[in-house]
Amino acid sequence: MSAREEHAFVVEGKMALPYQYFAGTVGSTFLVALRDEQKILGIRCDTCNKVFIPPRATCERCFSDLTDKWVELPGTGIVTGFTVVRYEEPYQPKKPPFVLALIRLDGADTPFVHLLESGDPAELQIGLKVKAVFAEKRIGSLLDISHFAPVP
Amino acid sequence: MAEDEVKQELIVSKQVISVPQRFATGPVMGYFLQELRDNARIMANRCPECGRHQVPPREVCAVCRLEADQWDEVGPEGVIRHYDIVYYASPDPLTGETREVPYVLAWIKLDGTSGDAYFWHMLKENDPSKIRKGLRVRAVFNENRVGAPSDIRHFEIIEAQESGGEQ
Repeated sequence: MSAREEHAFVVEGKMALPYQYFAGTVGSTFLVALRDEQKILGIRCDTCNKVFIPPRATCERCFSDLTDKWVELPGTGIVTGFTVVRYEEPYQPKKPPFVLALIRLDGADTPFVHLLESGDPAELQIGLKVKAVFAEKRIGSLLDISHFAPVP
Repeated sequence: MAEDEVKQELIVSKQVISVPQRFATGPVMGYFLQELRDNARIMANRCPECGRHQVPPREVCAVCRLEADQWDEVGPEGVIRHYDIVYYASPDPLTGETREVPYVLAWIKLDGTSGDAYFWHMLKENDPSKIRKGLRVRAVFNENRVGAPSDIRHFEIIEAQESGGEQ
């Protein structure tokens, strides 16, 4: 067994993971409004007086049916939390470093995660006012909002 | 209520995520794959204690827990021990493309192996009803080999079975 190490080598490979995501009726209404009208829709629970985004069919607190309780939200909001992604993975939407932020839109009660482009991440602060920047080419995905940018 | 329903566009997002990976062969699997690639030979390793073969090889005999450091060339012909006919069109993990079905996977007792070493691979046969246990098969190697189990393109049934009489 001399020179066993000579036999060892590395095989490059890849694994493809095909999947389909079905947005459903509520999710489709939300995505079609993003794509066709550049509108961000939330959904309101009148019982709890809360506005949720991304929208959902059922209130997470009181289980009311929210299916038709749409409210249009402005593209502006504030950053309630953020993280800086510094590692690279092929499935990520862009090259690191980039910022993923929790953004609570004005008029909404829940924050949602999106990309934030604000220059130097080291200067980023919770509470920053931001606005949605829509993608030129929209396909019915959450990335029809290209990213959020600080309001000057 | 069906006539009251508004026709709505429903969004389906289809994607293929590609996850790159690196497999470090180690010396034993590395030797097996090198021989496939460089010499189109199937190598089995043999336990010094019980004499059973392992193919693909393992560092250690799974029964005796001893380092299995003896090598023998086996195959490329063998006998079908059992087989699966696969009708489920699963995606090929290397490409994300859906495989054509049916395809056949066979456990093959390669000539020259001792013990219970069955080698698992694709079996090319367009008519799965012709396949049965005990048929002789032969490994078909690719021209361009890269050091992977797929360097054997598939096994094929060797014609001219004289046993006959099967229904």
